[in-house]
Amino acid sequence: MRKFICIQCPLGCEIIVEGERIEGNKCPRGKEYVMQEMKNPKRVLTTTVFIENAIHPMLPVRSNGEVPKELLKECMKILAGVKVKAPVKKGDVIYKNILNTGIDIIASRSMERK
Amino acid sequence: MKVEKKVEKYARKKGWKVKARLEDGILYLEGEVPSYKEYVEIGRYAGKQKNVEGVVNRLKYKGKKEVKRKKGGNELIGEADVVIIGGGVTGCMIARELSKYKLDIILVEKAEDVACGATKANNAMVHTGIGEKMGTLKQKLCVEGHKMYEELSKQLDFPYEKNGMWIILTKDSFADMPIPSFLGNFIARFIIPRIILRRAKKLGIPMHIVKRKELLKEEPNVTSRALIAVYSPTYGVTSPYLFTIALAENAIDNGVKIMLETEVVDMITEGEEVKEVVTDKGRIKARYVINAAGIYADMVAEMAGAREYTIHPKKGSTLLFDKDYGNYIKHSMTILKFPRMEHYKGGGAMLTFERNIQLGPTLMEVEDREDTSVTAAEIKQIFSRFSLLLPNLPRKGVIAYFAGLRAATFTEDFIIRRAKKVRNFIHVAGIQSPGLAAAPAVAKMVVGLLKESGLEMVEKKDFNPYRKASVVIRELSVEERQKMVEKDARYGKVVCRCENVTEGEIVDAIHGKIGARNIDAIKRRTRAGMGRCQGSFCLPHVAKIISRETGIPLEEIKKNGNGSNLFIGKAKCLLEEENEN
Amino acid sequence: MKTDVAIIGGGPAGLAAAIEAKKHAKVTLIERNEELGGILQQCIHHGFGNFIFGEALTGPEYAEHFIEQMEGIDVMLNTTVLEIDKNKRMLLSSPDGVFEMEAKAIILAMGCRERTRTQIFIPGTRPAGIYTAGTAQRLINIEGVMLGKHVVILGSGDVGLIMARRFTLEGAKVEGVYEIMPKPGGLTRNIVQCLYDFDIPLHLSHTIVEIVGKRRVEGVFVAKVDENFKPIEETKRFVPCDTLILAVGLIPENELTKKIGIELDDITAGPVVDEGMETSIEGIFACGNVVHVHDLVDDVSFSAIIAGREAAKYANGRKIKRRKIKVKAGENVRYVVPQIINGRDMEEITFYFRVKKEMENVVTRLLVDGEVRKEKRELIVKPPEMVRLKVKGDLVMNANSISIEVKKVA
Repeated sequence: MRKFICIQCPLGCEIIVEGERIEGNKCPRGKEYVMQEMKNPKRVLTTTVFIENAIHPMLPVRSNGEVPKELLKECMKILAGVKVKAPVKKGDVIYKNILNTGIDIIASRSMERK
Repeated sequence: MKVEKKVEKYARKKGWKVKARLEDGILYLEGEVPSYKEYVEIGRYAGKQKNVEGVVNRLKYKGKKEVKRKKGGNELIGEADVVIIGGGVTGCMIARELSKYKLDIILVEKAEDVACGATKANNAMVHTGIGEKMGTLKQKLCVEGHKMYEELSKQLDFPYEKNGMWIILTKDSFADMPIPSFLGNFIARFIIPRIILRRAKKLGIPMHIVKRKELLKEEPNVTSRALIAVYSPTYGVTSPYLFTIALAENAIDNGVKIMLETEVVDMITEGEEVKEVVTDKGRIKARYVINAAGIYADMVAEMAGAREYTIHPKKGSTLLFDKDYGNYIKHSMTILKFPRMEHYKGGGAMLTFERNIQLGPTLMEVEDREDTSVTAAEIKQIFSRFSLLLPNLPRKGVIAYFAGLRAATFTEDFIIRRAKKVRNFIHVAGIQSPGLAAAPAVAKMVVGLLKESGLEMVEKKDFNPYRKASVVIRELSVEERQKMVEKDARYGKVVCRCENVTEGEIVDAIHGKIGARNIDAIKRRTRAGMGRCQGSFCLPHVAKIISRETGIPLEEIKKNGNGSNLFIGKAKCLLEEENEN
Repeated sequence: MKTDVAIIGGGPAGLAAAIEAKKHAKVTLIERNEELGGILQQCIHHGFGNFIFGEALTGPEYAEHFIEQMEGIDVMLNTTVLEIDKNKRMLLSSPDGVFEMEAKAIILAMGCRERTRTQIFIPGTRPAGIYTAGTAQRLINIEGVMLGKHVVILGSGDVGLIMARRFTLEGAKVEGVYEIMPKPGGLTRNIVQCLYDFDIPLHLSHTIVEIVGKRRVEGVFVAKVDENFKPIEETKRFVPCDTLILAVGLIPENELTKKIGIELDDITAGPVVDEGMETSIEGIFACGNVVHVHDLVDDVSFSAIIAGREAAKYANGRKIKRRKIKVKAGENVRYVVPQIINGRDMEEITFYFRVKKEMENVVTRLLVDGEVRKEKRELIVKPPEMVRLKVKGDLVMNANSISIEVKKVA
């Protein structure tokens, strides 16, 4: 048995999945959500990387799409070793095709050289 | 009955095995009691006996923790005519007083800054002495010390103000006494104020009676249950840490060496004399030693072979209010409530010189000499006690609370005298309230004791009594402020928005004679982080400025002393750890 | 110095207000920090701008979108307002000097600050390792330091939840999130994606009753609370940790507002404003979290656009009528912003309000002179989630009594 809380709308239905049975959803979107979560849960990753010669020592970054949830930790470990140099423009690719997901890690903001 | 027998009998009745021995005025207690509570009870009973100058309480009880001493350093790190142990207000005042003479002086302090013990956590009142027990040493020194503040504050440029104090009697003053309320009210209105006035006259403290109507006109937020007040116009307020820092800086200017983060762990004695003070950093040769170690004074005395008292910490907790309530009361105030607790003035609503109301302090015996926690019970107690004085002061006005430990002995009075058996060791112990007010007089007394014990004291011709505080930007006029910014742009950048502290002032604090190296040291010197957000906004900025100015990496900045690191490392340090494994 | 519209604060509210006001007047924006964007620059997670941009941006992305449009606006960084009065004169301090500024209109956009450990009276010691969530967020995301390895979080509002995930991703162990209320304080989405995704336990009806540790936090005592939020002694237990994060609420930062003598709302702790975001003092406007704490930055920006537009009009000499009709908070409504309707000529007005208790299947209603003039169905309303009711401006323009209520659908 697995329990989900649907986040498709503010109701937040508690949905219980037991084998083939899906119960607790008040609308079809709940079922869809749970199916996706069961099959291949994906999330946007947002974090920081070190940056040199900028106003701050950290540059905020994000994935330009969703990455499989179970790879989040691995992505974090890879990005911990990444150092970039200012200047950086919002949207610049910081790390390409992370863990062969086809997803790039991009800068969340611009930072000029100090 | 002999004192020893009396104490033993008291214990026997309670079923405790206690042996008492009186020697040279000092009462030594040995044996066992069930817990710390009884340890204190018997100690206090013993301390009250006639002709007992000190109580050394060696009673055992279950769970008693032995304090482990650090290891001493072997290297000789100094040599002095006088070594002062403790950098609280007492130690620093003594250092400054002694710096008037041709002496080599070293002050050692185990903390990372001066004023880190009871000094930083008391409520800043420069008492007149009216609240002390008549005839005690602390009262005498308080009355004398109070009179010296005006001059000192001019010389040393620290905040001091005679803001006055109300002693208020209300319909609640006798509510807990087994007497009818009309009688209680009568005593409150007609008897007590006269007793206070008679005492004030005897001590030379100006005070006068203020009728209910007038009181409530002056202080409309005081309870309407007030009956009468006695007003003390000369009651003072200072900043205990700014005062202590001023003393330390002036002492340094006059040749005193201050060693911070230097903890006394032992003493080397020969016959009836201390030869060397051993610290964790190394040895210091000393001709005379002054024990101003506050809460640890008994342990320091023990190292010298001069254990003549035991300290039992009494915690005092205080709630601090937002400056928004700075005009809620005009003067500090206390409520007299009977029966009075022993050795406790009762606290009140005390105004700091920056006009934060402080409610408290409480009084609570604690075993742990580092226990400065504020408990839920204390918070509750403070609100219930002082709602009798200011019933509508809102709880949401509280921005901080803190606790300090009073270094009380069982005889409760100050113990300032030469050690009985050690020729060159001077006790300045049991300094609890009014230790701040008394400090200037305590230092004078110590000078006398040193002379008495044979130290040659020749006044310096070049003693400089003056010291200038660093600039406080928020107190300047617009023109002066502008000039400062022209001189250094950092005086224009406000870092602490609640207390209006600029980057320039923080830099000054870091580069002062006793340079601030951590967040709390900056806070005490500049007030950055002392306001309503309690450092939420300015902490990152202050930490960065300390790092930039001192070269200490940001991730190693501390809140206060050793072990108080704010951070565990640079960003990603935990991920890198995982990567390595 | 003189300007038409002075805006205090360069966060989301100040930025949007400035861009709007610029279209009609000379604008000066005063920011105390070294850069624009305010709190958005540290909110590196995504989820901002769903309403305005139709996509979930990160905080810095959202900020940059506005910062890019700042051309033509006089921006003063590292500048703090020391004094301010109702005649719209200010005394400013910056590394360039201390100077006076006079504006025709002022917009207050100072945002909010976090409640501290003291304000909720957590007993115990005062060691290193206690941070409000926002401070922790700045330290980790911007200053580049790591705060601790074992973290306890008090408060399940969105900032607390976001930080739980952030600490976990950075390699720390979040021992638990404790919430005194029986329901979580944050959005369901955040409960799921910040806690459940990482198996972080959420303890509802729990609080911290004591902080332990002399120099650095060594742990906290937690306890379950009864229905009156009093800790139950028997449930007290020790949770070892080195870091305590407090996400226990935000307070609009109104120190300057108080200095001017502007009327404040006891419930929101912000100024009372009309439909044009004007405060009780003519020509002084307010927007964003300084007025009341918002859940979504989009709403902050919306309120700022109104403030910017109306302030610019005021600076240009437009006079309005001031009918001062109070908006009453009716059934199951804790507060409503705007609190006052003056009868400005506005195409539409959005009432923002919070409910007192959770209700499913409800209708939110606007009553004008006792009659229902607008209704909207809601599946659910919860105290932590702000409710909106958008109405045509002429519905309330000439009203003599206005109220907002939430009713169960029969």
